[in-house]
Amino acid sequence: MYKYILESAGDINWMALFALITFFSVFGISAIMVFRKDKETLSHIANLPLADGDIVETNIEKR
Amino acid sequence: METQEVKTSTSQGGVDTFSYDDKIVRDFGIATTIWGIVGMLVGLMAALQLVWPALNITEYFSFGRIRPLHTNAVIFAFVGNGIFMGTYYSLQRLMKARMFSDKLSKLHFWGWQLIIVAAAITLPLGITSSWEYAELEWPIDLAIAVVWVIFGINMFGTILKRRENHLYVAVWFYIGTWITVTVLHVIKNLEIPYSMMHSIPVFAGVQDALIQWWYGHNAVAFFLTTPYLGLMYYFLPKAANRPVYSYRLSIIHFWALIFIYIWAGPHHLLYTSLPDWAQSLGTVFSIMLIAPSWGGMLNGLLTLRGAWDRVRQDPILKFMVIAVTAYGMATLEGPLLSIKSINAISHYTDWTVGHVHVGTLGWNGMLTFGILYWLWPRLYKTQLYSVSLANTHFWLATMGTLFYCVPLYWAGWTQSMMWKKFTPDGFLEYGNFLETVTQIIPMYQLRALGGAIYVVGVLIMAYNLYRTARSSSGVEDTTVQVAPRVKYVKAKGDHWHRWIERRPIQMLIFSAIVVLIGGIVEIIPMLIIDKNVPKIESVQPYTALELEGRDLYIKEGCVNCHSQMVRPFRSETERYGEFSKSGEFIYDRPFLWGSKRTGPDLHRVGGKYTHIWHYEHMRDPQSMSPGSIMPAYPHLLENEINTTYTKAKINVLRNMLNTPYPYNYAENAVDDLRKQAAEITAELREQGIDQEDVESKEIIALIAYLQRLGTDIKPKQ
Repeated sequence: MYKYILESAGDINWMALFALITFFSVFGISAIMVFRKDKETLSHIANLPLADGDIVETNIEKR
Repeated sequence: METQEVKTSTSQGGVDTFSYDDKIVRDFGIATTIWGIVGMLVGLMAALQLVWPALNITEYFSFGRIRPLHTNAVIFAFVGNGIFMGTYYSLQRLMKARMFSDKLSKLHFWGWQLIIVAAAITLPLGITSSWEYAELEWPIDLAIAVVWVIFGINMFGTILKRRENHLYVAVWFYIGTWITVTVLHVIKNLEIPYSMMHSIPVFAGVQDALIQWWYGHNAVAFFLTTPYLGLMYYFLPKAANRPVYSYRLSIIHFWALIFIYIWAGPHHLLYTSLPDWAQSLGTVFSIMLIAPSWGGMLNGLLTLRGAWDRVRQDPILKFMVIAVTAYGMATLEGPLLSIKSINAISHYTDWTVGHVHVGTLGWNGMLTFGILYWLWPRLYKTQLYSVSLANTHFWLATMGTLFYCVPLYWAGWTQSMMWKKFTPDGFLEYGNFLETVTQIIPMYQLRALGGAIYVVGVLIMAYNLYRTARSSSGVEDTTVQVAPRVKYVKAKGDHWHRWIERRPIQMLIFSAIVVLIGGIVEIIPMLIIDKNVPKIESVQPYTALELEGRDLYIKEGCVNCHSQMVRPFRSETERYGEFSKSGEFIYDRPFLWGSKRTGPDLHRVGGKYTHIWHYEHMRDPQSMSPGSIMPAYPHLLENEINTTYTKAKINVLRNMLNTPYPYNYAENAVDDLRKQAAEITAELREQGIDQEDVESKEIIALIAYLQRLGTDIKPKQ
């Protein structure tokens, strides 16, 4: 069935179209969702690498 | 709302005291350094062989066998251990939990090292599938799958027992990497074993090529890039002591990158026999890749806003800045190389090798070094032995990268122009391929010098790290006190993304869907629609002798230097003959199109030279082509043709993969092989070869295969 549908499609240009649409969907949806996030949560997550309680200054930073 | 919930719940709970498993991070760090040195030294050896062919010492260390050893060592041993080192360190801290199981961590570590050792033994022995970056044979493939699953269980187990609700973006990159590598590894390595160490691929010709480069490109994407982006998002803020510039941008970076990357593979096959629609998809998505890649690069560089004064002094930040910049350069150049008109010039030349090394030496190498320098004093609870040695290493690494890459760009461009140049009368200006090789030898010398400088830097780093570790007075695991995890209560107005980003399983499933879309749409039509690969009536399966010769071609790694794909350019059809058709490769398991022409294309070499020319050329290439940099293969004149598995191979090809061999051919295969060998030997004798027992030697099988290449569609004389 799938094979028949693909063959009947003639050339396979619809794939490029499909790819483009899905890309912009993924890109667009993630962009919209990201900009709807509240700042406090974002700040909390962004600071997670710095909040693991083992900040040690070595001779490299002290110079 | 959420912050308030966290605060309230924290005050109600107690405090957990636990330690992070730092030993496993140290172990992976040591392995990263050792395998880095080994892999780069092998690369240096390969680079020197291109300048002095006499360095092809014995069959086990000839270029064709050690080039895959180099790529496997630096990708899976150096970068692989680097990924695990960084992941095990950052994951525990981001999840505020010790690894799920110390036993699994150890199994993972030792399993991975054993796989590397197995690769280091089998590749010089010529045990290879010939697929670039997937050369290892089926038993090792199975071992990789098992160890990868162990890593996955350990990682997800840790995520599930975490004390932090949110998954930081680095963890998304780890999850995306894990699921995609799993899918790639399984599909790429679909093969049917016929012996304990050998197998025949399920897919042939064009289909095998598409799957190979879907895999090959994504090995770069999901082994050399996404996990390292995860490391960048963790270690760069740590080293700069400030959060990532834009967390929003990092989220878009993640989703856009994993979605687009998976489609870009066919850009490795432009102007080949791959159908046009697949080539176009590869080009379009490759160009689109610039957007998320540069978004990520800028996000990394801008994280250093306000800290640039420190970059002048801190070698760690220096390494990281160069790494992120190299990431930006490589991800701009990659899409440009995917434009057909540029690819027509760059493909098969050293330009590609230079491009790849901007990524590996610049991005992977420099980021790994930066992380190692950052981690070592912390893991060993001491100070770095010498900051000035680290600075020296930085300059050596930078100069080494430049000396490596710039000559190769020069070499690639020069050689490509020479390949394409015609005289005013319409003949090829450089009809002898060798002329275009000897012209760029000085560039190969400079490249080897660049590699040597880079390796010296790594050796200095190893010494520095060793002395740092020795100065440690004790290495206990880091103990921390953290509040238990607070159960998250959905707040009004929460959207689906928050739902995903707190739940690793959903993240895994969404990542898998996003990644699979590209793979399915691109690959399935190629597998099931016959008209993508038009059949050619005159194309027949290989004879038993040719098949054995083909396996020798694979064993010796000839594909590392010779393509079998004449592109439809006048400069190529003049030089090599009729351009290659997809229908000519339907019995090629694996496909052997190659990706680099250190020597000429061989697809139409059949019938071009006499048997004796091949015999003498394999014995001593310089005797037939003075100035050639090809290794000599005298052992082919001494070793007996191995017919132990001839029948088994034919059986797999005929009975399981529908290759149209005559009924009972497997039973008679060895007889047929001997008959054809006798015919070739008779011709060789007429031409003046008097070697005793030559009839049963490997050279005869290889000559049979080379003389068959590309002849199926030639008019019979």
